Amino acid sequence: MSWGPNFMYYHCPSCGKKFKFQQDMIPELGDDFGRCPDCGEMGVFEHDGARTLDDNEYFEVE
Amino acid sequence: MSDLKNKRIITAALTGAWPKKENNPNVPMTPSEIADDVYAAWKEGAAIAHLHMRDDEGNGTMDHLKFAETLRLIKERYPECDIILNLTTSGDIYATDDTRVLHVKELKPEMASYDCGSMNWLNFGLFLNSPKFLEDCGRIFKENNVKPEIECFDPGMIGNAAYYLKKGVLEGPLHFQFCMGCANGIPGSLKNLLFMKETADQLIGKGNYTWSAFGVGHSAMEVMYAAIALGGSIRVGMEDNVMYSKGVLAESNAQLIARAARVIREYGCEPATPDEARQILGLKK
Repeated sequence: MSWGPNFMYYHCPSCGKKFKFQQDMIPELGDDFGRCPDCGEMGVFEHDGARTLDDNEYFEVE
Repeated sequence: MSDLKNKRIITAALTGAWPKKENNPNVPMTPSEIADDVYAAWKEGAAIAHLHMRDDEGNGTMDHLKFAETLRLIKERYPECDIILNLTTSGDIYATDDTRVLHVKELKPEMASYDCGSMNWLNFGLFLNSPKFLEDCGRIFKENNVKPEIECFDPGMIGNAAYYLKKGVLEGPLHFQFCMGCANGIPGSLKNLLFMKETADQLIGKGNYTWSAFGVGHSAMEVMYAAIALGGSIRVGMEDNVMYSKGVLAESNAQLIARAARVIREYGCEPATPDEARQILGLKK
């Protein structure tokens, strides 16, 4: 079985932006993984799990 | 029969254990919905249907009666559908070793999944496939003439498969499903898929196995194209991906399979029919 992509959800402690990363982007993004795509601050981890229909408020960083 | 070297097998993974209607309202959940999706997948070019079941709350289950009901509906509603049925043995991480194989012993499908190692599951659970389970499973598959689809989430599991092949638990030629990009497994990418294939070449031997692959999430298309280019087959379906593209939900499993068939044809190959897939995999119908 597979379990689809796992997403890690963050918010920025500086600008408040909400964003998410697919977990297996860690090798590709390295130190940028978890950082706010707008201001570069390391995000505050909120939760992880599969994508849901109502998680559009979290910007998907690719 | 036409040249099998030009054929690529599409495995349709329709339901899986995780997506619910809240992830995509089009994911099939009941035996009736799954049976209808199997037929639709076959019509679009899938040669194999990989099946999971759900309980009445929509959670993954190994309930052998659900499997039996689904197979009965497929046969009753679509007697002309000759798709290869591949039943999961890993639909519920809390299932016992016995309940994971009861339906295999009862229904004797042509194929069933064989997850060739243990790993963490979604960062909160354990996906356990103990040495004892894998040895018992291998024996049960042989006794019931079921071909294992050896699911490998990392290269270590290919190593496990090599061990079981040499021990006689598994019989060659093996058929692998490289599962790329799942949390706690090998990340999905062309480079990593190539590494999985080269590991299999080294441990199993070129020509001694067939293989298929899929990527979840952002790696889905990269792995699909790479698998076809590397000479492998592909798996698609909502078990692995509920999105058709970035920001766009898949309308149906049939839509995903139609795209897979189109990609194979545009590459210059053809989707294998179920009977062609049986020849490629060495199945006896």
